[in-house]
Amino acid sequence: MRFRRKLLAVFALTVFLSVATVAWIVSAMTRRSFEQADEERTAALVAQFRHEFNRHGEEVVRRVETIASSEAATRMALKLSRGAPDYGAYLDEAKALAENQQLDFLEFVDSQGTIISSAQSPATFGYKESFPLAGPVPKDAFLKQEDLPDGAALALSAIRLINVGDRPLFVIGGQRLDKDFLAGLELPAGMRALLYRNPGNQAFSAQLLSDTSGPVTQAEQIAPLIKQIQSQHQEATALVHWSSNPADDETIHAIPLTGQQNQLLGILLVGSSRRAYVELRQHIRSAALLAGGAGMILAILLSGWAAARVTRPVEQLARAAREVADGNWNTQVMIQSSDELGELAESFNRMTHELLEQKERLVQTERVAAWRELARRLAHELKNPLFPLQLTVENLLRARQQSPEQFEETFQESSSTLLAEISNLKTIISRFSEFSRMPQPHLQSADLNELVQNVARLFQAQLHTPGRPPIECKLELAESMQPVAADPELMHRVLSNLVLNAMDAMPEGGILTLRTRQNDEHAFIEVSDTGTGLTPEECERLFTPYYTSKAHGTGLGLAIVQSVVSDHGGRVSVRSEPGSGATFVIELPNGELPDSSQSNKQ
Amino acid sequence: MFSTPSAMAATRPRYGGTLRVAMRAAPTSLDPAGPQAPDWFGSRNVSLLVFDTLVTVDNSGRPQPALATSWQSEPSNQRWQFSIRRDITFQDGTALTSDAVAASLRAVNPTWKVFSAGDAVIIERDSATVNLPAELALPRNSIVRREGGKISGTGPFTVTQWAPGKKLVLTAREDYWGGRAFVDSIEIEMGKTFRDQMISLGLGKTDVIEVAPEQLHRASAESSRVEHSEPVELMALVFARDRQSADDGRIREALALSLDRASLNNVVLQSGGEPSAALLPNWMTGYAFVFPSNVDLAHARQNLVGVRQTAPWTLGYDATDPSARVVAERIALNAHDAGLALQPTSSAADLRLVRVPLVSLDAHVALAELAKSLGLTPPKYNGNSNSEDDVYAAENGVLQSQRVIPLLHLRSASAVQATVKDWHKARDGSWNLPGIWLGPGMPGTDKP
Repeated sequence: MRFRRKLLAVFALTVFLSVATVAWIVSAMTRRSFEQADEERTAALVAQFRHEFNRHGEEVVRRVETIASSEAATRMALKLSRGAPDYGAYLDEAKALAENQQLDFLEFVDSQGTIISSAQSPATFGYKESFPLAGPVPKDAFLKQEDLPDGAALALSAIRLINVGDRPLFVIGGQRLDKDFLAGLELPAGMRALLYRNPGNQAFSAQLLSDTSGPVTQAEQIAPLIKQIQSQHQEATALVHWSSNPADDETIHAIPLTGQQNQLLGILLVGSSRRAYVELRQHIRSAALLAGGAGMILAILLSGWAAARVTRPVEQLARAAREVADGNWNTQVMIQSSDELGELAESFNRMTHELLEQKERLVQTERVAAWRELARRLAHELKNPLFPLQLTVENLLRARQQSPEQFEETFQESSSTLLAEISNLKTIISRFSEFSRMPQPHLQSADLNELVQNVARLFQAQLHTPGRPPIECKLELAESMQPVAADPELMHRVLSNLVLNAMDAMPEGGILTLRTRQNDEHAFIEVSDTGTGLTPEECERLFTPYYTSKAHGTGLGLAIVQSVVSDHGGRVSVRSEPGSGATFVIELPNGELPDSSQSNKQ
Repeated sequence: MFSTPSAMAATRPRYGGTLRVAMRAAPTSLDPAGPQAPDWFGSRNVSLLVFDTLVTVDNSGRPQPALATSWQSEPSNQRWQFSIRRDITFQDGTALTSDAVAASLRAVNPTWKVFSAGDAVIIERDSATVNLPAELALPRNSIVRREGGKISGTGPFTVTQWAPGKKLVLTAREDYWGGRAFVDSIEIEMGKTFRDQMISLGLGKTDVIEVAPEQLHRASAESSRVEHSEPVELMALVFARDRQSADDGRIREALALSLDRASLNNVVLQSGGEPSAALLPNWMTGYAFVFPSNVDLAHARQNLVGVRQTAPWTLGYDATDPSARVVAERIALNAHDAGLALQPTSSAADLRLVRVPLVSLDAHVALAELAKSLGLTPPKYNGNSNSEDDVYAAENGVLQSQRVIPLLHLRSASAVQATVKDWHKARDGSWNLPGIWLGPGMPGTDKP
């Protein structure tokens, strides 16, 4: 991954983590705040219910007292004290009085517990009231279970006693605790009240649960909470999942409702919807996602800009470094800042400048060394023929002075010698001249196998020159060599030089091997000898101009070889070890013409 | 002889005025052969104003001539001949003929063979029918002329306004064969609850109203002029199915023994009837007391020993009848005392609480119509005897089937304004509106 992308990823990740952290913190704080508010609301509703319960209870007490003090009730009590009750006369009495006082339940019960008149169950006249009337009459309202023909009901009831005549008369009135009672509770938005009637030790029944709109659907969801209250008789809270949608979840606080004998008659359930919280949480998440997304995009853009601003000098430095590595030492980067990157760029520029200067100094030094070497070689090369020339001329002079009779003979010999050495001088000079005038290759499609075979054929006679140990020439040519772009004449000269070198390396005879091979990219020509071999130092300096390991050489042969091969876009190398011969390897590119050749063609 | 004019006016019938009547029934058709309204009394009273029957039945249950002046039967009582009264016209002016009478009876009784023979109508039945004249006195056998979707009768009043189920206005016929009615017209408001009727009577807007049996006591206490009939309506429990097994029979008997009929009558129905374990009232047969009607919980519980009620029975009642629910709940309580479970309901049930009027003062016809109304097997009469023993045997047979448990016989009651004179009600509760007249000061009088 590139430095800019790394930088970009780091910036983006940092922004994302920051946004996520903030969103989580806000969400957690929201949840805590909501739950606190939810608890407060639930407590408020419970308090409100208790207040409403007490208020309704007081109202029921007041209405029952009104009935107990009414003329009809007094008359009924008086008649009862005088004899057996006339149930027929009171059949509708309780109902009429209950309707008048807006009570759902009203019964007149004599001291024996016999029902004289009942509003809720008129047919029960003459039967015994199930509610125990022994003991003091409760002052306040209380919860009471009413057994009706169509089932039990829960009532907020009150009892008052009419003591007129000899036989007291109980007035038991109440209001039904049902959906209407729940509807009378002023509930905050998102909250509701439910009522579960608990007749006896009956198992949970969905039909006993209702809210302000009637029976509750999926009432089984609340069953565990109901059972908990039934077993423990203590307030409890539970989170109810009505569906897979968390917004439908509801926190339900259950309050046991007990009767006079502390029996569990009902359970008030205060439900608080978590929809508001879930929606708020979703809004926060959405806002966080939106902000995060926008932040990410902005972060990417800003990070891109910042990364570009930061990495551009680095990239310039990297590019400049690559150019330097490619040999273009005259590379400079623009200094755009004064920070560390600016210092780095300045150092780089100073470094390339120093490298360039060192290179120029090195070139100058090498040039001087080359000239010195050339001078040394020239002096050496010229000194060898000049010394015989001097000796020959001195010998001529001495022969003329000392033995004129033999001068002619000496002159003839010396002349031959002089001409030979002068020819030698001319040869030396022509070689230097030839090196200086090395021609550019004229590339054409060349068959390397054919080239090798021609050279081998040319040197066949020399390899077997009488008087010297024979050299065996072996050809190991690849069978399917593809033609390459090469100048046949120059390559012929290159191979000839290498063969001559090999012959010089095998004064005691040996085996000369000429080998060709080819891969997908290059074609190879190898010239191997079985001579004395080369040391690593010799291998290293072998292609330096004017360097020679031979006693009589100009040191230009392999330099010419390297120059020609290089002009073909190839390279030449040698591998050798002392005592095991040497192998020169020419590597030429397949097919395509080297750039220099192309330029030459153009 | 020397009474003052005002005293004379108070005792001498006078013509004129409009009688305003309110009733609970809301019939949608005046055709006696049409679907009967729930409250059969109301429909019957309206029918008697517009239509006549061949025969009527007096308070003793004896047939009396009406459109038929005389009748005679073959010795086997399968063929009857009725002589039709002459010079009678329908309200549309058409003369009453034996053909018209035969056509009217055939329309209502398609199994009968009815044909005319001169001024007489001959009716042939498949089996001996001792009480055919009494059967012909039933309102459904009223003589009706049906033509072009219109109906016409020979009754004392003619229809001048008819809003089905709401209001009926009748005008007295001057040419009625039995004599013109004293009142000029009768306005009948239909579909009024007992409470609304009572209020209307109290406000002086209505002259005659119906009174529910359970309101008899209260209405009398409020100084209303209340007239009631003999107990003529049966309140009973009817099982939806025949007795399924011997155990089922024992449970049904236990239920019958657990019923506190006296409390139902005295308290719930405010003494508006008579407790009875018989289908026909005692005043009609004289033997109803033979069937024990007292509660016998010990016997009931003994009946249930070794017998288990598989599931609570449902007891259906008419939700529109305010007292029916209380009666049903009381019955459930009584049954609970015996160890039976009954659940009152206003929908379909295992047994129903029903109220069925006795449609005839003739015991034979009344029992047969009762069984027909309750969906029971028709009573079997022995031979041609018209004796009480025959009725007793037939009724006992019906009760032995244990498809029905009689509870009470209820009275039919009416309340009238003081201005309504000569108000006489038949023993079966039928109104005799043509015979009444309106005294002075009556709100509906349109003549001085």
